[in-house]
Amino acid sequence: MSILVRRSNLVVPAVQSRMVVRSWTRHADAVTVDLQDGTPAAELARVRETLRQSVALAGKGGAQVFVRVNADFVYADSNAAIGPALTGIVLPGVEAADQVAEADAILADLEKIHGVTRGSLEITPSIETAAGIWHIREIITASPRVRQVGIDEAALAASLGITQSSEHDAFVFARGRLCIEATAAGVQPIAVADPMGVQTGQISHETMTQIATDSRNLGFKGMVCGHPSWIDPVNEAYTPTESLVDYYTQVREVFAQALAAGTAAAPFAGRMIDVPVDEWAKDVLAMSAACAARDAEKQAALAAAEASFDSSIPVIG
Amino acid sequence: MTGSPKVRRSWLLCPVSHSERVSDAPAAGGDVIVLDLAEFVAEAGKPAARESLSELLVPAKSTGAEVFVQIDPELMLADLSASVWPGLDGIVVSRAETPEQVAAIDAIISDLESRRGMLPGSVELVLCLETALGNHNGYEVATASSRTWGLSLGRADLVMDLRPEPSGEIHLMQYLMQRLVTLASATGTVPLGAWWRFPDRGLLATPANTLAAAQRGRAIGFHGSFCVQPDQVPPLNAGFTPPESDVAAAHGLCEAYASATASGTGAVVLVDDRVLTPDIVRQAANTIALAEACSTRDRSKAAAVEGIPMPVP
Amino acid sequence: MASTPRRLKRSGLTMPVVTPRFINNAWHRGCDYINMDLEDSVPPRLKDVARNLIRESISVVNKGGADAVCRINHDLMEADLNAVVWPGLMMVNYPKAEYAHEIQRMDGIITRLEAERGIRPGTVEIGANIETAVGVANAYEIVTASSRVMDFGGASGYDMSRDLGVEMFVGFDQFVYGKGEVELAARAAGREPHAVPFTPNITGSVSDPDRAFAEADAARKCGFRIGGGLHPAVVEPQIRGFAATDDEISDAMWVLQEYRKLDRTGETWVQVDVASVDREGSPRPMAADSYLGRHRVIDRYEAARAEELLQWRSRCQERDQEKAEAVARVNAAEAAESPG
Repeated sequence: MSILVRRSNLVVPAVQSRMVVRSWTRHADAVTVDLQDGTPAAELARVRETLRQSVALAGKGGAQVFVRVNADFVYADSNAAIGPALTGIVLPGVEAADQVAEADAILADLEKIHGVTRGSLEITPSIETAAGIWHIREIITASPRVRQVGIDEAALAASLGITQSSEHDAFVFARGRLCIEATAAGVQPIAVADPMGVQTGQISHETMTQIATDSRNLGFKGMVCGHPSWIDPVNEAYTPTESLVDYYTQVREVFAQALAAGTAAAPFAGRMIDVPVDEWAKDVLAMSAACAARDAEKQAALAAAEASFDSSIPVIG
Repeated sequence: MTGSPKVRRSWLLCPVSHSERVSDAPAAGGDVIVLDLAEFVAEAGKPAARESLSELLVPAKSTGAEVFVQIDPELMLADLSASVWPGLDGIVVSRAETPEQVAAIDAIISDLESRRGMLPGSVELVLCLETALGNHNGYEVATASSRTWGLSLGRADLVMDLRPEPSGEIHLMQYLMQRLVTLASATGTVPLGAWWRFPDRGLLATPANTLAAAQRGRAIGFHGSFCVQPDQVPPLNAGFTPPESDVAAAHGLCEAYASATASGTGAVVLVDDRVLTPDIVRQAANTIALAEACSTRDRSKAAAVEGIPMPVP
Repeated sequence: MASTPRRLKRSGLTMPVVTPRFINNAWHRGCDYINMDLEDSVPPRLKDVARNLIRESISVVNKGGADAVCRINHDLMEADLNAVVWPGLMMVNYPKAEYAHEIQRMDGIITRLEAERGIRPGTVEIGANIETAVGVANAYEIVTASSRVMDFGGASGYDMSRDLGVEMFVGFDQFVYGKGEVELAARAAGREPHAVPFTPNITGSVSDPDRAFAEADAARKCGFRIGGGLHPAVVEPQIRGFAATDDEISDAMWVLQEYRKLDRTGETWVQVDVASVDREGSPRPMAADSYLGRHRVIDRYEAARAEELLQWRSRCQERDQEKAEAVARVNAAEAAESPG
């Protein structure tokens, strides 16, 4: 089974065309073009007119492209975005399974109308309320289109009426429940690079790497990034490091020797290496290979895009 | 959060068997006085406590507090019969464990309301999920009655025998608190509690520690907490009121957002190179609304104190 | 409320049943139980051999008074149970429990084997270990699937980490939700929670006696009663860490004495500043700087804790005595056998 490598997901507001135009240069595994809640109707209509082009543009660097639709306009927003470059939609404010089922039916219709492979468009539910956290199991199993699920922590904080704080992490339970239920259902839990919405301004590369590493060590498989500078550290943190790859390569050797000697438990560097450690070593090495393949794919797309790029549009890398 | 929230920051528990504790309670200035029949009344004292209860409800409101009675679900019929009289705002159910139990309590209250000339459905419930089973069944328990206004862990640390870890945190409590906050919001009820740390145990803490517990509690989503000492009431009121600095910052955010959207830059406002989302603005609006509700509540309590002459000894 | 389990499990060693050196030495390690492993420490090609070793190994590992436990393979449940449910076996550990029906099936097989092999019905306990996200999601259904489930825990460790795709030993608690759900399920079902308070561990060492003691000590103070490990060096520190100290026993007796004073006063509790209590008397409270704090409340909850602690102490003493006598019997028998 192939591994879904979607470490970083850059969110750009659809109305900010400068941000959309530059999004493909940011090395993100995915880009989400956000038709923000609260966008005035006229503005939304204007944005929809160019949405398909925006999606295609955002994907030029090899990123998978999502559109974050308005909960009230799933059909219109998806209809404006659908095309070969669209991977799926982010469905905001999901609290119950029927919201996912409805979106599933809408996407099925649109796939038929636009000649897109049936069942290919993904739905990423964005959990923004406690009800969504509580009913997470029903939500993520409501459609096979759900491959990733995330919590919008700023929205959750607002719905709970709490003030985010870096001192008291209010979402240990919520994140834990998301990771456990998603993993149990074979869906990837994704984190937000701006936990609790408490980071302001520029975060150092090092800090973001640590935030991303901690979230990976809770079971998340990727991060939603509100700022382009967060993407490189997030990609790094979600890719097994060289030293980890070396360590697990040795683990596999030690375990193979132990098996040959008639035991399935062997001490190595102060720890006990047995079946689950060896199995994990296999996972890490497979993930490392999958990340390398994904990076090569993006590199090729980026090179091709740059070669054909109209140099009249300024690019900040 | 919709509408104007009921401000119930401090819940002072007074054993009905201790008349001086009950008569002193209004002076503490709590938002709610909880006349306790369950936890702090010795078995032998319960019959007399029940008999005296109906006389205590109205005097307990002399400083503008609301009045709840805490009952023991094993003794629900006797406890409720003694408590549900005009003037009662609600019932605190200790050791709430099953939806059937909550439904039975609801039915008894409905019967008493109709027989005693009270507005149907006026008596609210706060359910204390103090046992593991109560927490496990939390969603079903919380949705068993439309009277349920709030949820609390009550004395779960004692009932479940949860003790301090080396970190000073009480084992499992952080998990249970966040679970309760989620559960309450998911069921449209209000989570009550404070983030107590060892050596504060079972609602006993100094005023300073109580303030810190309330502030930590508010940060993770609680709206008010029980206490047992009158000197814990002011720190709970303070700790569950948004601090002025937060309110000022919230006003600033709302104004920045309003002026930016008015100037026609669309829905996107950048602050420090970050998008100021409607969520952040909504959160700021919540803070402002809560601060206003708290100050309204404080004014109404002050008016009650002035309007009713203090009893002369 | 901490409830004392049927059999004490303060310390136990898990060892591959195919390594005779481990099995033959297990009886004098001083453990409350020995967990003979058929699962992860046994290579696949040796599973059959391992299975056939269990029946005779039961009496080898338990001759020093330890209870015999066996960890079976999740995917080989029926064959393994057939090989391990013999007189003398106290518990079967079932790894990677995910669904209630697995436990119900196990219960059925064990019930049949108990009948066929003359084991008193209900003797063999089940230890169900949660090691996957699915297991956490179904925790309450699993723990309530059979009354034999007397040991229920997990939601951390290598398999759990692998299922979630996380590195272990990162210095913060990665498993709060899973451990919380599993403990809540155990408590809701009225079973002894198998848990330890989180203490950061970035080494992953399995043989550090100081760490083993610190963990057991923290677990005891938290009210937990179950331990276990992989290395002989951790057995003694665990037994020591789970033992109530003399000061704690005196404190418990003092609590009960103070609690009795509340009788007929109409009060349900009283607060005592232990700094003001005569520290020379007996019984006496722990010093004000102890982990119990300075301002102590005496009420029915504290009284229940105190009673449980006194009971725990006597259970530990009885168990230690039982093991010492068993070891003495073996030594005497071996001395009698050895020539002149």
